[in-house]
Amino acid sequence: MNAIHVLGLAPLAAVRNVPPGAGFHLGPGLILLVLLVLGGIGFGVSRMRGGRSSKQHDDEWGRREQPPPATTPVLSSPATPATRSVRADVGPTGDTSAPPARARRAVSFGQPAGGWAVETHGLTKRFGSNVAVNDVELRVPRGCAFGYLGPNGAGKTTLIRTLLGLTRANGGTTSLLGIPVPAERSRALAGVGAIVDEPRFHPHLTGRDNLRLLAAARGGDAARRIAPSLERVGLTERADHKVSSYSMGMRQRLGVASCLLGDPKLLILDEPMNGLDPAGMHQMREMIVSLADEGRTVMLSSHLLDEVERTCDAVAIVDRGRVIRQGPIDELIRAAGTASVQVDCADPARAARLIDEAGIAAGTSLTDAGLTVALPAAASRELIADINRRLVAAGISVYGLQEVRASLEDWFLSVTTRLGEQP
Amino acid sequence: MTSPAPAAEPLLSEQRSPVVPGRTPIARRLGASMPTWPLIATKHLELRKRRGLMITVAVMIIGPTVLVMGLRLAFHLFDPAHNGPAGDPSVFNAITNLTAEFGFIVAAVVGAAAGTTDLNDGVFRYLVITGRSRLALYLARIPAGLAVLIPALAVAFTMLCLVTAYEAVPQPTTVSMNSGISIPANFDQAQLQTWLRQHPAEAGEAFEPSPGSGSGGSTKVGPGVQTSVPKIAAAFSDYTSAEDSEFNPAPNEMFKIGLWLALEIGIGFLVGLGLGSLTGQRTLSTILLIGLEIIVTPILARVQIPYFLNGQRLDVGVAMDQLRPAALAPATGGGPGPGGLLFGGRGALEIPPMATWAMISVIVGWIVVWSVIGAWRMMTRDA
Repeated sequence: MNAIHVLGLAPLAAVRNVPPGAGFHLGPGLILLVLLVLGGIGFGVSRMRGGRSSKQHDDEWGRREQPPPATTPVLSSPATPATRSVRADVGPTGDTSAPPARARRAVSFGQPAGGWAVETHGLTKRFGSNVAVNDVELRVPRGCAFGYLGPNGAGKTTLIRTLLGLTRANGGTTSLLGIPVPAERSRALAGVGAIVDEPRFHPHLTGRDNLRLLAAARGGDAARRIAPSLERVGLTERADHKVSSYSMGMRQRLGVASCLLGDPKLLILDEPMNGLDPAGMHQMREMIVSLADEGRTVMLSSHLLDEVERTCDAVAIVDRGRVIRQGPIDELIRAAGTASVQVDCADPARAARLIDEAGIAAGTSLTDAGLTVALPAAASRELIADINRRLVAAGISVYGLQEVRASLEDWFLSVTTRLGEQP
Repeated sequence: MTSPAPAAEPLLSEQRSPVVPGRTPIARRLGASMPTWPLIATKHLELRKRRGLMITVAVMIIGPTVLVMGLRLAFHLFDPAHNGPAGDPSVFNAITNLTAEFGFIVAAVVGAAAGTTDLNDGVFRYLVITGRSRLALYLARIPAGLAVLIPALAVAFTMLCLVTAYEAVPQPTTVSMNSGISIPANFDQAQLQTWLRQHPAEAGEAFEPSPGSGSGGSTKVGPGVQTSVPKIAAAFSDYTSAEDSEFNPAPNEMFKIGLWLALEIGIGFLVGLGLGSLTGQRTLSTILLIGLEIIVTPILARVQIPYFLNGQRLDVGVAMDQLRPAALAPATGGGPGPGGLLFGGRGALEIPPMATWAMISVIVGWIVVWSVIGAWRMMTRDA
């Protein structure tokens, strides 16, 4: 037995016309040799791919993805004082460059004719002893942007996975667009687009090929919507690049494009702002608003209060798997009754006494910033003019009056247990 | 990102199809469990674009043929005095068996990849969200994966057959039997019987019984011929065995061998797909199936375990070895009986032959069971 046979390389001897029967016994050595060669090839290929991976966090302009700004209020961050006042035209982030708050759509929580976009009754999902979704009663009106707001770990993603039939609920009923799920899941999902957790794609395929795959699964006219969807999210020029070279923001946009393939009536977006830089967040916000403007229902889950307040018309607050409150954002804030007026005048102490004696305000307080007058619930703007008239009539010089509306964040902090327990 | 289109000019709403509950044709189609052609095509695209996987397929299925036959052709071209023609029955059998072994392994790798890629890349949930039946998603992987493997096999095997047929040593016109007796080649059983009647003396020597040869015994093969000659069926078996070792397989035998190879690869793929879908782990599935192919099957094929013979026969590798085409079996070397030694044991040498229905039942059973397991896991898995 020679070395060739010992190494199990006998087949190679066939090329030299080794006598039949002596050269064709295959040993494990040959298998190992081939597997080692293949392993080496695979390693080399993976290294080649890895060489590009450092770029994957760069966006198409060569900029690095930035974490969300520290000033963005997130529910998981330490609590901010619930009593702070925020200028309504600036926003709770203090970002003076942010656009003024848009006018929200009127949202009705009365029983709609065609059914709710999303409706759950007693929906419950447990993982062992952990109740991730606890007896949730949720109703999302059609044609609005709806925020599903809660801190990390509140069960937002689990609820969405249950809604979409990705995991089985332990109890309760669900319907999407008036169609029961999971009983008629396929029919319901024909009108739904969704991003769950984060958009995921085959990294070795191009963005367009990934959409082709999803369009083929969806069927119908979905394949014809690939190009308009890519154009809609601004990815046409990068559509034929591999997804492995995409930034997080581009993947989010590709995720939205994949949602649009089915021309959905309902979009469910799970934390769509995750990983986006401020410009990307702005663009995503605009996209969500424009989708809702087209008559689609957009349900987005988020832990970013500011984003939900800027984007959504109605909101449900979830904490520890339960929906605490739900309704139109304006109504919820108004019900909190925390609007006030910041008065800049010559004699704040005398002005405070004057307003208290008149009994027109809910209360006054003197701070370093001046006089703050708390307005009663459901107070109109005319009351601010009345305060001004009374102060001027009393001979007190008034330099400025600034209306301060409570934000969603203030309201949220007042109702959630988790943050409310913190000092 | 460019600015989103203004609300007044929605790009999509113009093409919007009505979604009427209970009346949407798309929704009805989505519920169908059969995969559509575009779904199969895109799944095939997804597999085909995996560079490492495609290199593995090419190296392990096409590589042996190209390497060995290419070198043999080159050697013969440049030094014909010392290197015979590239085509040779023993080389044909060696490469075919190598392709069968590597083919099963690479098919298992492709199957495991097809069964786990969507899960590992996180795309599975987005496919489920489309509303497409999970069964359809699973079934689409089968033609998509086979469309990767079978063309590669076809290229390799066609190349092998062409070289064997057209670049072969001159085919002998007779078959050498015992005692140097030559019998004309390409006889069927009736022609052989006729020849034996006409040549009773040569017949007795050519098929002289030997211990364990399986051709013992004598019979009267024709009127007026009382010479001791072997039973014609056993004689024909010996004749074809001798013929196979000296001759290239006939075209119809090559076709049968090609089908057998395709079946071997198909089984590897389907088992890999089912196991990959069950475990969700590509590496684990691949390692398990390589272990089955190069460790478990050779042991089960070579060692008769008391009271476990039928258990051994349940191994798909053992059943496939017993199904091995006759024209392929004898030339693999390593001993008597059907098949031959491969990786130290393939060939079912020590296992008594299985009934045809048993072979087919084991093979079909492996295909069906693993496909059902994979589909069931796919349909019940949390996405």
